[in-house]
Amino acid sequence: MKRRVCVVGVGLSDGPVTPDMSGIMLEAQSFRRALDDAGLEVADIEGLASAGYGGMHEVMLAEYLGLTPRWLESSSTGGSSFEFHTMHAFRAIEAGDVDTVAIVYGNNQLSASGRTLGTGGGGGGRAGMAMPMPMAYEFPSGLTLVGAYAMAAQRHMHQYGTTAEQLASISVQTREHAARNPNAMYRDPITVDDVLSSRLVADPLHKLDCCVISDGGCCIILTTEDRARDLAHRPVYVRGAAGGTTHHSIQAMADMTRTAGAVSGPKAFAEAGIRPSDVDMFAMYDSFTYTVLVMLEDLGFAPKGEGGAFVTDGGGNLRLGGALPTNTDGGGLSSTHPGMRGLFLLCEATRQLRGEAGDSQVAGAEIAVAHGSGGWLSTQATVVLGTEGES
Amino acid sequence: MTDFVAHNGVDWSESPKYLWPRPNNEDGEFWAGARRGELRIQRCTSCGKHQHYPRFLCTHCGRATLEWVTASGLATVYSFTVVRQNGVPPFNERVPFVVAVVDLDEDGARMIGALPKLDPAQARVGLRVRADFRPANDDSAFVDFAPLD
Repeated sequence: MKRRVCVVGVGLSDGPVTPDMSGIMLEAQSFRRALDDAGLEVADIEGLASAGYGGMHEVMLAEYLGLTPRWLESSSTGGSSFEFHTMHAFRAIEAGDVDTVAIVYGNNQLSASGRTLGTGGGGGGRAGMAMPMPMAYEFPSGLTLVGAYAMAAQRHMHQYGTTAEQLASISVQTREHAARNPNAMYRDPITVDDVLSSRLVADPLHKLDCCVISDGGCCIILTTEDRARDLAHRPVYVRGAAGGTTHHSIQAMADMTRTAGAVSGPKAFAEAGIRPSDVDMFAMYDSFTYTVLVMLEDLGFAPKGEGGAFVTDGGGNLRLGGALPTNTDGGGLSSTHPGMRGLFLLCEATRQLRGEAGDSQVAGAEIAVAHGSGGWLSTQATVVLGTEGES
Repeated sequence: MTDFVAHNGVDWSESPKYLWPRPNNEDGEFWAGARRGELRIQRCTSCGKHQHYPRFLCTHCGRATLEWVTASGLATVYSFTVVRQNGVPPFNERVPFVVAVVDLDEDGARMIGALPKLDPAQARVGLRVRADFRPANDDSAFVDFAPLD
C-alpha cells in the first residue's frame, strides 16, 4: 500500500527586499524557519530538492546547509520547478525511497540584478551570454520575456474576445490580497483604470499586468503521514500531482491559448479525486495576468475562452469570498517574485489549509491547488493539497 | 539611408557582434541562405511537412528524412506584440517595434521575427507578410518580416 505524504513545515525568508542577503542565505534562512515550523532538525532531512540558475545548485546547497542527503532532485523547469519537485518527492516518499524531504529556493533577484528580468534580455539571456539553442532564432528579433507572454495574451484576445479590462481585473483583485499581507511588495489598492493607464511594456501587457521583482526565499518540508503525526502542525496532505511541457521557445507553442496545464490539471485532480468546483483556494503562478487567465481555463475552473468572464463575474471570483480565492498572499503580481515563484505557491496553499492565513484566510479551506508555470508558458505542473488524505 | 529603416526612422542596418548568428553544422544553411535572400527551411520527405528551426529529426513524424527547401517567404501572423521596453542594446534604441510569430505558407513551419517597417498601429493577427532579409555580416542575415503591399 502506498504511503500518504504530507507537508509538515513551511518557511519564508525575510523579504521582499533584502539587500544584505545573498540567494543562498535566503535559502538557509527559509530552511531553518521551515525546520522550526515543523519541529524538525537538520539531521531529520534525508532528501533535498532545489533549482537555481546553474548546474549542481542542489549539491552546493546541500553542502552549504551541512546536509548529506541520500535523495536529490533538481528538475529545472523554470518557475514550475518546485511543483515538479513536490510531485517527485511525493512519489519517492509514497514508494518508500525516502521519508523526509526539504524543497528550498531563494534568490536576491531584486537586490542583485534590479528590475530587468522581463525586458533585460527576454527569452535569450543577458546580452553577451551564450543563448540556449532555440533562442538563437528568437533573441535577434528583440523579443523580451514579457513580449513572449504578451503574444500569447494577444492570441487569446483575438481568438476569444478576452479584454484588457478582464486581464487588468486579475491584477486588481490580487492587489486586494496584498493589502492584507504586511510583507507584500505593493499594498496600495489599484483600479482597472490604473492598470490600463500604466505604461505598455509589450502590447497588450501593461506594467501592472506584470509581476514584481523581489528578493525572497522559501522552503517546504514533506514527510510520511506516520511521521507527521508526531510533529507540530496538523499535516497537509499531497493528494495529486502532474506536470508536462509543450514547448521551450514561444515560437514553438502550437496553441498559445492552451498550455500543458490542460493535461496536468485534470490528471492531478483525478488522482486527488476532486473536481474543479471542490477547490477552495488557488495558488496560481501569476508571472503575468494572462498566465492566471489561461490556467483558469486549462485547469477547468472556466470553459476555454471564458476565463475573462470568470475573473470578473460575481464582483470578482478571485477575491476572498469569490468562487475561487486566488493568490491570497498578493501573488507575484503584488507580493513576491524572486526570479521563480513556484515554491511560494505551495507555502501559501499550506498556510491556508492549516488555517494560518490570518486576514486572508479562506474560511474552512479543505482543498487547495498550487499550479506552477515556467519559461514562457513552457512547463506546467499542478499539485493538489488537502486537509485530509485520500480515502 | 539604407533599406533597413524602421517605421519610426531608426536604422536597423548595423547590429552589434554579440547578436550575430553563430552558424553551426546544423543551421549554417539557414543563415547563409538568408544572406543570399533565400528563406531555407527543412522539409520531411516522409511526411511532407516543414519545420523551422533546423533540427536532426522531423518534429512532425520523428524521422531523420529532412531536406532543405527554399520557402516562398510568404506567411500569416499567428500572434504579435509591440515591444515597447527592451533594456538590451541595440533594441533599447529601436523601440517600439513589432515582433510576430508567423505561420509560413509551407505546411508545418512557424517562425518568429521582427517587423521593423510595420507601424505598430497596423499590426494584427492574420496579417499577410513576407520575409525580409537584413544582413548581420558577410556570412549571415536576420530574417525579418514586412507587410505584403
